[in-house]
Amino acid sequence: MPNALTNPINQLVLGLVLGLVGVYLLLPQPKRRAVAVGTFLSIAGMGILAVFLLQTLGRPVNSIVGEVLFWLFSTAAVGFGFAMITQRNPGRGAIAFAFVILSTCGLFLLLAAPFIMATTVIIYAGAIIVTFLFLLMLSHVAGPSDENDRSREPLMGSLAGFAFIGLILFTIHQSTLAEASTAVPSAPLTAKDRENLASAVANIDEALKAETFEDFRGPMKKGHDFIGEALGDDSQPLPGSTPPVLARRLRLPKDPRHIELVQSAKKLAKANDEAENKTLLGKDFPAAKEAAANLRSETILFAGHGLMPARNVANLGYTLYSEYILAVEMAGTLLLVATIGAVAIAGRRKGVPA
Amino acid sequence: MFDFSEPIGMLLLALTLPLVGAILAALCGVTKFAKFAHWPTIVSFASSAVVSILLLIEVGHGHEPLSITQELGTWFSVGRISVPLAFSVDPLSVVMLCTVSFIATFIAIFSAGYMHADSGFARYFALMGLFVFAMCLLVTANNFFVLVAGWEGVGVCSYLLVGYYYAKPSAAAAARKAFLVTRLGDVGLILGIFLLWQVGGYHTNFDQLFEHLAKHPPSDATMTTAALLLFCGAVGKSAQLPLYVWLPDAMEGPTPVSALIHAATMVTAGVFLLARCAPVFAASADAQMVVCVIGGLTAFLAAFIALAQNDLKRVLAYSTISQLGFMFMALGAGGAISPRYAVTAAMFHLVTHAFFKALLFLGSGSVMHAMGNVIDMRKFGGLRHLMPTTHATFLIGAAALAGFPLLSGFWSKDAVLYVLKEASESRSPYHNTYTAILALAGLTALLTAFYTFRAYFLTFWGPEKIPHEAHGHAHESPRIMTVPLIVLAVGAAFAGIILEPMTHGFEHFLERSTSIDFAREAFGKHHNLMEKKHGLDWTVMLGSSVIALAGIAFAAKLYLRGGPEVVHPKLEGVYTLSQNKLYVDEVYNVALVKPAELLATTGRQFDGFLDAIARLFSFAPRVLAAVMRPLQNGLVQFYALGMVLGLAVFLTVIVFRSAK
Amino acid sequence: MITLGHFLAVGAILFGLGLIGFLTRRNLITMFLSAEMMLQGVLLNFLAFGYFHGNLTGQVFALFIITVAACEAGLGLALFLVLYRRGRTLDSSAWQNVREAGLPPTVDVDLFAEPEPEEAMPVLPVAGRKPGAPSLEGANRV
Repeated sequence: MPNALTNPINQLVLGLVLGLVGVYLLLPQPKRRAVAVGTFLSIAGMGILAVFLLQTLGRPVNSIVGEVLFWLFSTAAVGFGFAMITQRNPGRGAIAFAFVILSTCGLFLLLAAPFIMATTVIIYAGAIIVTFLFLLMLSHVAGPSDENDRSREPLMGSLAGFAFIGLILFTIHQSTLAEASTAVPSAPLTAKDRENLASAVANIDEALKAETFEDFRGPMKKGHDFIGEALGDDSQPLPGSTPPVLARRLRLPKDPRHIELVQSAKKLAKANDEAENKTLLGKDFPAAKEAAANLRSETILFAGHGLMPARNVANLGYTLYSEYILAVEMAGTLLLVATIGAVAIAGRRKGVPA
Repeated sequence: MFDFSEPIGMLLLALTLPLVGAILAALCGVTKFAKFAHWPTIVSFASSAVVSILLLIEVGHGHEPLSITQELGTWFSVGRISVPLAFSVDPLSVVMLCTVSFIATFIAIFSAGYMHADSGFARYFALMGLFVFAMCLLVTANNFFVLVAGWEGVGVCSYLLVGYYYAKPSAAAAARKAFLVTRLGDVGLILGIFLLWQVGGYHTNFDQLFEHLAKHPPSDATMTTAALLLFCGAVGKSAQLPLYVWLPDAMEGPTPVSALIHAATMVTAGVFLLARCAPVFAASADAQMVVCVIGGLTAFLAAFIALAQNDLKRVLAYSTISQLGFMFMALGAGGAISPRYAVTAAMFHLVTHAFFKALLFLGSGSVMHAMGNVIDMRKFGGLRHLMPTTHATFLIGAAALAGFPLLSGFWSKDAVLYVLKEASESRSPYHNTYTAILALAGLTALLTAFYTFRAYFLTFWGPEKIPHEAHGHAHESPRIMTVPLIVLAVGAAFAGIILEPMTHGFEHFLERSTSIDFAREAFGKHHNLMEKKHGLDWTVMLGSSVIALAGIAFAAKLYLRGGPEVVHPKLEGVYTLSQNKLYVDEVYNVALVKPAELLATTGRQFDGFLDAIARLFSFAPRVLAAVMRPLQNGLVQFYALGMVLGLAVFLTVIVFRSAK
Repeated sequence: MITLGHFLAVGAILFGLGLIGFLTRRNLITMFLSAEMMLQGVLLNFLAFGYFHGNLTGQVFALFIITVAACEAGLGLALFLVLYRRGRTLDSSAWQNVREAGLPPTVDVDLFAEPEPEEAMPVLPVAGRKPGAPSLEGANRV
């Protein structure tokens, strides 16, 4: 039995089936609703899916805090999602939806998207939910009513939903399996590389603080070493399990994502050579310091590849108005048309009884 | 266009005038002039009669054979058949044309009074005009196919006119019966025409065909077959045994229709056909024998049935059949004697019969009109004081029919009996049969006189009895109806004596036709017999006078006091047999009609079965649709569910295929 | 480092739940909110991929999604208002007229369970008197 359970496909199927039955039992129906059993089954199903994810994909975040936050926000999102679709009272459903939004916003923050988080909270939890709560209050029905207490095709609907979830999870599972076989890493700069580059920057900082050439030379040498280690020397043969050196990695199938990375690496190598020359020469101290400062900025730039840029709002605005200007204009037009349309549709017409 | 002073122009004029009259009468019918629809018809008939008589005068003098033909273009041409629209001026056609148009004129005038205030007035006159046109087409045709066109045309018009009272089921059934029974005969006619076309060098015009047959005579068997097939058509159209059953039922039509179609013109088309195709028949004595025998049997049988009929029109109908039998007997005698005499005798009887039979039918129409559409002789009697003109004319017609000496019927019947006598005395191998037929003819003449005067006495003698349907208005018919009666009576009385016995004018005129010429040639080749010149034969005249007077006296003895009929107990069986028409209709019904109906019903069941199979094919999509229709229930979420489930299936397939 | 797959999985689950809610619930508002939840799942997807590639394209697209969702909400609200005015109900099953001609409308057969009868709560009389005690007024009459 335990062997069967460790098979990811089995886990996936079991989790989906439990979730399906749980949702079916939780959906509001006049006859077959069983809240307690349904809740239990849903939680069990989601738990098994979490186990599946852990097993297939490993830990979500490297740091403890990040992992705790991830699991917290995910559980909250999924849990409130369940609550929203199975609540009988639509007002309570709307509040559950608000909490779903807040949870996903937490996840957005983890993904380094603070602006989107803010926008989502404002628009969804602010505008949309409030508006719909007003509509709900207008049309409040007391007692059991068709719309709140019945479901249309609960079994088939749940099946459809869980089929989609299963398909996507299966695809994710398949792609992780595939990932191990290809040589192109998902992140071109590994953590080790970034560590080396961070150490190099620290050493260069130390060197820049030096007053004399001798104090300068020592840390600079260490810095060069670290950079050299990050860039890698492609003349050596590869040992089996270590990831291939960056130079070799970058020479592998041409990925358009890596063009900037390659250019940046070339610039870094050039700056590195130049600084090394100046340092070795030992003649011109200010020129060497200038070269070192240049190397530092190149290193930081290179080390930052694949990381989200800081100053998220400013960068987002810059990207929007340079690369995606047409889309922005069209979105604005869409909003205008939607506003006019909404007013036109919902406005009372003369002579039409309310 | 055509020069109307030329014979062929006059022929075409006489031919097309009735058609114009018919079209005008039909047009009158659809406008508000329906009351005046009789004028175009009567005027066109009258002018056609005048033109025909002028034509007769035009071509009457002279002694050479006369045949002026004219082709009006090709009707159709397919492969080896090429059918021109050919007409010929020739004594046979001229005689028929005169007879038809003259009698039709007076019948039309009578109809104007008889059909007065009937709702289908215009339809009647249009159909009558069309009928006369078709009949004229038939007699003036120089081409078998044009003749068949006219043949079918008169058949159709007969159907439409017999079924004139189409709302009456018995009339509709009678019309259908007439059409279908004559159809049976038409099959033989068409087959015979094709056979002749094939052996006759692929000619379709009469003159060319007969010339070819004369030059290259085919075998005896072929000619006999062709002659018998043509005779089939005549049997159907002229109501001979066994296809006579439609004629008594056709009395359901209006009486003038019976007068025109079933006495004077349409039924004589068969006789005309045999006269026209005399060369074919002259080449085959066996076929002539068959013709004569059938004619004789028919004549006797019909006379027998007419003895006990109570319906005046039925008596006259059977009388027509009987007299047609006489004509065929005469034609059939052409197997033993020269066709010249045989054909002439038949045509002579045809012309006189047209007069007195039309007169008798119109007279019965006059009686019916006065008696409130009652024609059963048991319901009225003693009308001679009430309707003097009708009485007088009816008497003349009856006497002519019976063969009273010196009236037209006497002369023509004598001619027939004479040729039969000659045939029986000839050296033909069948002369004994001809003797038997002669005896049968004599017996038939006796019966004719008897039943004719039975009808006369029952109608006009005895105590006056008027049926209540007359509503007390029984009176003599108006002048529009009695004048034609008078004219026809004059014709019935004097037509015979003028035409034939003294002057042989009819004979001399008729023998100039090319048919008779060719026939004489063919006859001469086959029989190598000398033609006997004949004059008045006193034996026959005396014999037939005695027979006629005996018949009249016998009828007078039994029926002079009119009144209800008393049947001698010993003759009870004969009477019943005669009254029930020898049960021929019942036999036909069981032997022929019921099997045909069974076949039709079986066919319909089979058709229904095939329909069921076709419906089965349409059943499957409908069932499938009915199963799938509830999917469209109008609920958006249901539709969305369907889409999502379908998408899930697709995605599953894609994901699992790419996962391999 | 944050891996991609977990966020995709969470996004997928949110999307699936939203789909279930949209397909099953009959209240128009709940249907709409479920659709918005689907959009949230998609948003999560985009942002995860954006983070994975290290550029801002994902966030830009996410912004447009939010824009479109806002438009959709506005128009949806307007339509719901109109429908409510016409049908006096927020039940999506009230609008079945697009069905095949001749098909009877789908009606709900199950009856709701009887609501539990409310227990009669004990009612306190005016303070100062024991419940059930005979009235003193009558007793005082001599």
